[in-house]
Amino acid sequence: MALLLVLSAGAQEKIIKIGTLFPLTGPVATAGQRCTAAVETIVDIINGVYPNLDLPIAKKAGLLDGYKIVLVKADHQGKPDVAKSEAERLYEQEKVFAIIGSYNSAATKPASAVAERLQKIFMCGASSSAALTERDFQYFFRLAPTDRIESYEFAEWFTELNKSRNANIKTASIIYENTEFGKHAADEAKAASAKAGIKILADVPFTPGATNLNSEIQKLKAANADALFGAVLGADYSLMIRTMKQAAWKPKIAINYCSGYQDPNIAQQLGQDGWYFMGSAGYTPEFGLRFMKGVAPVEEYFKKKVNVPFDSNSIQEAVAMYVLALAIEKAGSLDTEKVAQVLRTTTFDSPLSMGGKVAFESPGGQNIKAQSVISQLQNGKYVTVYPYEYKDGDPVFPMPSW
Amino acid sequence: MKTNVKTGTLAWIGFLALLALLPVAGIVSKGFLSHVLIMILLNASMAQAWNLIGGYAGQVSFGHSVFFGIGAYGAAYAVTVMKTTPWPGVLAGALLAAVVAVLIGFPTFKLKGHYFAIATFAIVEVFNRLFMIWEDVGGAVGLDYPILKDGWKNFSWSRDKTGYFYGALLLFALIFSLVRRLEQNRFGYYLKAIREGQETAESLGVNSRRFKLAAMALSAALAALCGSLFAQYNYRVDPSMVLSLDMSMRFVLVTILGGIGTLWGPLLGAAILIPLQEYTRAYLAKLGPGVDLVIFGLIIILMMEFQPRGIMGIIEQIMKKRRRGGAR
Amino acid sequence: MNLFLQVLLDGLWSGLLYGLIAAGLSLIWGVLDIINFAHGEFLMAGMYVSFFLGFLLKIDPVFSWIFSGAFLFLLGVATYILVVKRTLGKAMAPLLATFGLSMVIKNFAMNRFTPNFRILSGTIMEGKVLNLGSAIIPLPNLVTALFSLVVLGGLYWMLTRTRFGWAIQATAMDVQAARLMGINTERIFILVFGIGGACVGIAGGLLPSYLATHPDVGSLFGLIAFMVVAMGGFGSIPGALVAALLIGLIESFAGFYIAPVFKYVAVFGVYLVVIMIRPKGFFGW
Repeated sequence: MALLLVLSAGAQEKIIKIGTLFPLTGPVATAGQRCTAAVETIVDIINGVYPNLDLPIAKKAGLLDGYKIVLVKADHQGKPDVAKSEAERLYEQEKVFAIIGSYNSAATKPASAVAERLQKIFMCGASSSAALTERDFQYFFRLAPTDRIESYEFAEWFTELNKSRNANIKTASIIYENTEFGKHAADEAKAASAKAGIKILADVPFTPGATNLNSEIQKLKAANADALFGAVLGADYSLMIRTMKQAAWKPKIAINYCSGYQDPNIAQQLGQDGWYFMGSAGYTPEFGLRFMKGVAPVEEYFKKKVNVPFDSNSIQEAVAMYVLALAIEKAGSLDTEKVAQVLRTTTFDSPLSMGGKVAFESPGGQNIKAQSVISQLQNGKYVTVYPYEYKDGDPVFPMPSW
Repeated sequence: MKTNVKTGTLAWIGFLALLALLPVAGIVSKGFLSHVLIMILLNASMAQAWNLIGGYAGQVSFGHSVFFGIGAYGAAYAVTVMKTTPWPGVLAGALLAAVVAVLIGFPTFKLKGHYFAIATFAIVEVFNRLFMIWEDVGGAVGLDYPILKDGWKNFSWSRDKTGYFYGALLLFALIFSLVRRLEQNRFGYYLKAIREGQETAESLGVNSRRFKLAAMALSAALAALCGSLFAQYNYRVDPSMVLSLDMSMRFVLVTILGGIGTLWGPLLGAAILIPLQEYTRAYLAKLGPGVDLVIFGLIIILMMEFQPRGIMGIIEQIMKKRRRGGAR
Repeated sequence: MNLFLQVLLDGLWSGLLYGLIAAGLSLIWGVLDIINFAHGEFLMAGMYVSFFLGFLLKIDPVFSWIFSGAFLFLLGVATYILVVKRTLGKAMAPLLATFGLSMVIKNFAMNRFTPNFRILSGTIMEGKVLNLGSAIIPLPNLVTALFSLVVLGGLYWMLTRTRFGWAIQATAMDVQAARLMGINTERIFILVFGIGGACVGIAGGLLPSYLATHPDVGSLFGLIAFMVVAMGGFGSIPGALVAALLIGLIESFAGFYIAPVFKYVAVFGVYLVVIMIRPKGFFGW
């Protein structure tokens, strides 16, 4: 009798529930769906055995001694209050071990606040607002570089161009969507420009989903600064480019935060019009081929789900799941405190990350090894132009006129 | 007549007491069910606040998210900018909302029918965009709450939702008791008279303007209180969360689906709609995005076509059939 | 001065676009006394039809507007028969029913077509501009503006110069009386909804020339269309044109001379001012 009981206890399901919380409906749903698919790709690899992949988690089925991961997917619809209640539901009702999310900084804020209050782990791949890691949180871990890091890199790049090519970039304008993401990026752009001695001529916020961007582009054209910072997502990005073309105006150099620029679909649809714009990138397929060889085989599985390669955002969510899995393995248990401690104190090897390493500062949770490069869209391909150790092409400067 | 009112009051108090005892059953402190219950109470309160002006006075406004938003920002401002307890902000929010309501009501009440409705859309949009560019209240980024100490002083709890439940229950009790009282006395009768025929009511000496403005101000203050609770519950506020047409539509939809101009309509509407919304969103996700909203939209269409008096209308229909059947 | 001309022209195109979109709404409101809350979603549906024709069959928006218009005619008729008819006469019911319809259409599109932004590239009109001095006139906007004038003019002509139009006006003024005079008001309602839909369908057909298509694209357009119609006055096509031009110009001038974020504050603000002074809009009756 006792033997039977022991046997049945051993046959109990060994499951780790992980929650994903992304915008699956609403204006940025495409990104949310891709992020969810990225996490799913890694979970498939963890749960199965993939001898062709050179990743520790691919070598055996499951984590620890045979625990499989089950994803509980949630949709916050782009709304912070829904993000908060979904986070609570995931932790308290579904009893997930950790949540990976939430793309929109405005949604990540309350959702991770719930996590911190409940003392549960929250892994954030791609939300860019620097404020997220300035809260001294203990259970929050963010992979992507912040808009502050990117701003300084942009300013550095301008300074470098001035030095090496007499670019004479002295002034800049900023166009950004009037949301948490855009506004924060704009503030960082201003700070970085001030430090680099670049004067801001026009500060142009706009309401996303606008019916036209005529006034905005006219303002930029009137100011005619040398450089343009852009924090413009999705459909507004293509509208912006088309409107600039109609107004027959281009700055000498245009550089974008995480935005429509990085979306390969949009780049393809814009065709030649989108060429020569620049932006930050935590990953591009071209970069991956040269410097992140570990990505391509994993990307095959991702492409099967969403028909596009990884982009800067989705790949960070994959890394989030990957690093969490590594941490669980290293901690050797499913005790949240132990896993969190591992996350706070370990430097992880991550073939899916630019630079290959991930390490979180604590408290706060920012990945201090996060890097991004600056790429430029040339002939339909993202060519890395800066920093020089990653460069695979020369920048086209200034942007040729329409 | 008096005995009916008395038993009615007893039943009402009994109902409230029952709800107040739910936490003892342990279902209210945490979990999704507790969230749904709190949302039902909050939405019922919001709908009833709107019902005062939209249902009883017949002035269908789509602008209540403005008052809701003022209440939310009031509480959030007190906590995040003035770094104190939310209560002064709650009070200020309610008063400010009432003032704004009168200022809006004055010129807009003379608009007829659809013109009034569209004007209220425009007002919501103006407030939304103004708050988006008003840096002192956070602009587009909004106001984020720091982690506060649990308790009634801060009206904030991090793990146990019981406090929020009682807060929502108190708000619900306040608003429903108030409207119940008003319905049964002169104020309510005058409002209904104005709704049924403004000119006729005026010819009988009812100062329709004054009553409508009073109803609007009261409705606004109550909506603002709901907004304050919402901000405290979500630990943040930004223009798109509260000052949106979607939020305005919620005030209207819950009331109408429940039964506009009736006392229990708002509660019925909330009790059916909120669980529907929350559970379909959580559990129909596999059918692809937006399915829950398609269902919601279809329900609205069907209700409006076949029973625009809402659930109360359906109940009345059933009761009528029963009576007719019995009398045979 | 050149900049002024540019801002002025931008405002005119916008205004005429808004007028084209609002034309159908004005007609429906004038005759049936209801606000079609799903009007923005009608626009979006028209854009999708045009986008897919362009994407899959390479039909240029310059031609596919015909199909969009036809599709929306049918959608308008279906909306009347399935959604609106039974709600007529019951206070807020038609408005809320069409609100429900807008949710259904928008989320159906979200579910079936994904929220991806779709852009057509290589259309005939794309990127072509005319130059008026130093001001730039984009061809797609110019063509849309011309369509707007034609459609608005055509509607007005139909309403005032044809028997069908007189029957519509009679129905709009007094349904009972119209019936007594032998007018088949039910048929009028159906056709009006169809024509109203077709107008916004035409707008939707042309827009993919320069605007990205996605499930949410109709929201703001719909809202502005309500403003245009209410400001112009119940049932007035000329009013809608004047209001649309005014809104387009305010948007453009406020956007440039005050601040782009102020664009819509100004638009909605001016609407409120106008409506206070003239509670029935410019030419409402």
